[in-house]
Amino acid sequence: MPICDHCLLEFPGREAVHVEVNGQKKVFCCHGCNGIYRLINDEGLSDFYDRRDSWVPGPADDKPVDIAAFNENLRQAGNEIETDIVLDGIRCASCVWLNEKILLKTNGVTYANVNYATHRAKVRWDPEKASIDKIVERIKSIGYTPKPFVAKAYEMEMEGRRKDLLLRFGTASFFSMQLMLYSVALYAGYFQGIDKETKNIFHWISLLLTTPVLFYSGMPFIKGAAGGLRHLNFNMNLLVATGAGSAYLYSIHEMFSGGKVYFDTSAMIITLILLGRYIEAGAKGKASQALTHLLSLSPKEARRIAGADVNTSLRSSESIPISSIKAGDMIEVVPGEKIPLDGTVIEGSSEVDESMLTGESRPVSKAEGSDVFCGTQNLYGNFIFRVKRAAGDTVLSQIIKTVEDAQARRAPVQAAADRVVGIFVPAILFLSLVTCVYRLSNGGPATEAVMNAVSVLVIACPCALGLATPLAILAGTANGASKGILIKGGDVIEKSRDIGVVVLDKTGTITEGHSVLSSFHGIGIPDETALCLAASLERLSEHSIGKAIVGAARGLKLHDVTDFKAYPGRGISGGINGKGVLIGNRTFMTSYGIDIAHDDELLNEAGSRESTGATVVYLSYDGKLAGTFSVSDTVRKEAAEVIQMLKHNGLDVVMITGDNLKTATAVSREAGIDTVKAQMSPVEKAEEIRHMQEKGRRVIMVGDGINDAPALVQADVGIAMGRATDIALESSDMVLMRNDLRLLPDAVSLSKKTFSIIRQNIFWAFFYNAVAVPLAVLGILHPIVAAGAMALSSLSVAGNSLRLTRVNKASL
Amino acid sequence: MWSIFILIFLTLCAGIGGWLLFLWAVKSGQYDDVERPKYRMMDEDGNEDKNGNRNDGKI
Repeated sequence: MPICDHCLLEFPGREAVHVEVNGQKKVFCCHGCNGIYRLINDEGLSDFYDRRDSWVPGPADDKPVDIAAFNENLRQAGNEIETDIVLDGIRCASCVWLNEKILLKTNGVTYANVNYATHRAKVRWDPEKASIDKIVERIKSIGYTPKPFVAKAYEMEMEGRRKDLLLRFGTASFFSMQLMLYSVALYAGYFQGIDKETKNIFHWISLLLTTPVLFYSGMPFIKGAAGGLRHLNFNMNLLVATGAGSAYLYSIHEMFSGGKVYFDTSAMIITLILLGRYIEAGAKGKASQALTHLLSLSPKEARRIAGADVNTSLRSSESIPISSIKAGDMIEVVPGEKIPLDGTVIEGSSEVDESMLTGESRPVSKAEGSDVFCGTQNLYGNFIFRVKRAAGDTVLSQIIKTVEDAQARRAPVQAAADRVVGIFVPAILFLSLVTCVYRLSNGGPATEAVMNAVSVLVIACPCALGLATPLAILAGTANGASKGILIKGGDVIEKSRDIGVVVLDKTGTITEGHSVLSSFHGIGIPDETALCLAASLERLSEHSIGKAIVGAARGLKLHDVTDFKAYPGRGISGGINGKGVLIGNRTFMTSYGIDIAHDDELLNEAGSRESTGATVVYLSYDGKLAGTFSVSDTVRKEAAEVIQMLKHNGLDVVMITGDNLKTATAVSREAGIDTVKAQMSPVEKAEEIRHMQEKGRRVIMVGDGINDAPALVQADVGIAMGRATDIALESSDMVLMRNDLRLLPDAVSLSKKTFSIIRQNIFWAFFYNAVAVPLAVLGILHPIVAAGAMALSSLSVAGNSLRLTRVNKASL
Repeated sequence: MWSIFILIFLTLCAGIGGWLLFLWAVKSGQYDDVERPKYRMMDEDGNEDKNGNRNDGKI
């Protein structure tokens, strides 16, 4: 089969569009792709085809775009109009480049910038020369789908918070760098001697440089500490604020009494902890995009049929926004459209791709009385359905709500460190109080007693603490990435300790996720002839069973087919060499007078195949039964081995699926899983995991579909398979980049390893500082000890974290 | 002695200059998209030579 030069899709040769472009012969699968290729070429942007690597653009689509939604988003910018457009279909830097160029080459457009991370285009144009319609058309004409950008309050907030953090961290580092110059000079002065005047000036400069770090960059800590204190909550913020604050105040006192200053301690604590937070924020930023993506799956408009006309032939329909449709309304759906709401079909039939909800790769046939769900894709037929639930209550919106809730409930990142801090802070506060009282009772002067107490606080506060978690995670993440395991944040690793249960989704996780022809044989004709006949016919069908059969027949010479016809949900028919050929299920065959029921052997075999989760279709040639084909989603080769390995490591393995129990049991038996939960809706999957968690188990969920998203978020650790849907990728905590289940045990042990490094890091962060505390209690704290403790704890943490990057596969 | 003070003053100026530059960079959105710039070098348009033939930097 030829491959389209634009979208790289394989397609049946008879539909090819052959065109000569610049003296080169090109083949396209449709006129849409041809149009796009010509447009890109005419604009001198044919570089695109050279620079794209693995990316495959979607084929041209000609669905109309609702311009009204874009109009709400226009802003006036001087004499020009500006707007934000989300571009669906952007996969790589070349897409960004192509879109920018195409927009800039549109007459009237003065500015176009596409953000690679958010897929958001900012476009500005002269309203006299261009219009939003034109721009949207232009983007569509090269095969991307423009969508109006609707700013979500929480997303804006996230963005604002990240910027704020960057400003505070950047400010802190600039001033700390400056401060270090003078601190080093002062430390040298303690050994070599320094004249009073210079020392004094250096003290003043240090004070000047530390003040913005403490009161601007450190403000979140001070506020957090004050908030925590009100509830008698000794948190990380309190430790940072008391450490930095007391070092600052202590230094000011010492400045005037001619002692030693610790401004650098104060500034470095804040800088290093902000650095840690910034590293983490980068990893977490992507999570918020998941929800926007989910929301964009549901159509914004539906065609409602005016109530009274339903039974007449003259029926009229109107496009209205989803939000104004009520339960009981009737909606019309045409082929290729997304179903806008949940409901029951009342007229017509079709097949619907529900893979986004159920993970099931095979299209589901729909006839009168079947339920259809919002966001799923209608494939072949027209139908009308009666709305069951209004926009806010659809299955899809329930999924969105579950994901939202679960994300909001997520534990704070620094849980492990916070637990240590919870004990450490009160202990140090107590110790410094004891120091003060002890000094006073020994008859020391009050100021000296207070200063001693404060110096205990100063030396005890570990700067390296802020780096302990992020550095280990950075190293662990780098190591994971080299193996093909993407770890998306620190909390993931903290939560993956003491995992007790691994829950695996069936379709796409334990199985390959797509149908293959598992067995076939001819009846009265050779097997290969039967396959050849079936493939010739199925080549023209879009159905996944057809694809499996055609895939198996690759290399065979196929026949020409006449009068091809598809009967959604039942079968297909056509003519080969003037003889009628039918492929379909049992009822389809019976309806054409081909009797299968009397053939016991055949029925038995079909029955046993179906019990292993396969779908059986029959072939008839010239009115006689000529073959059977069974198509199934096969279990991954490595599944049994991996599951055995997980069990060996003391983990319980559970399979969870939306599929029926029969298929599920067949798969679980092959993969070696004892516990199976079948026929679970997406929300029920999440519920099931919550039940396990309530019993005190920690749960890993592995899945790949939108239907797994709530469960992935609910689980302590959600792991998505490489070919997963975007939503699953973004709802998960880890991604297995290669489509290979063998990465799963690696991922589990890597995160365990990383967690133990985090624990060691927290220990080292405190260790040197805690060792120096007795010196402070005795009032003989030398500044070089303070500086040494600070440097040593940071170095130990960094060095210990680096060990993670050298962990190879063998030692895991 | 004075030379030290002048140098201190200069380093402070340089440091604060750097900081102001950083503030400007953040405020003007230089950090908004840190993924894209690494591909920028490949985005340069191919040059056209005298005969109007495109030369995409390939030899």
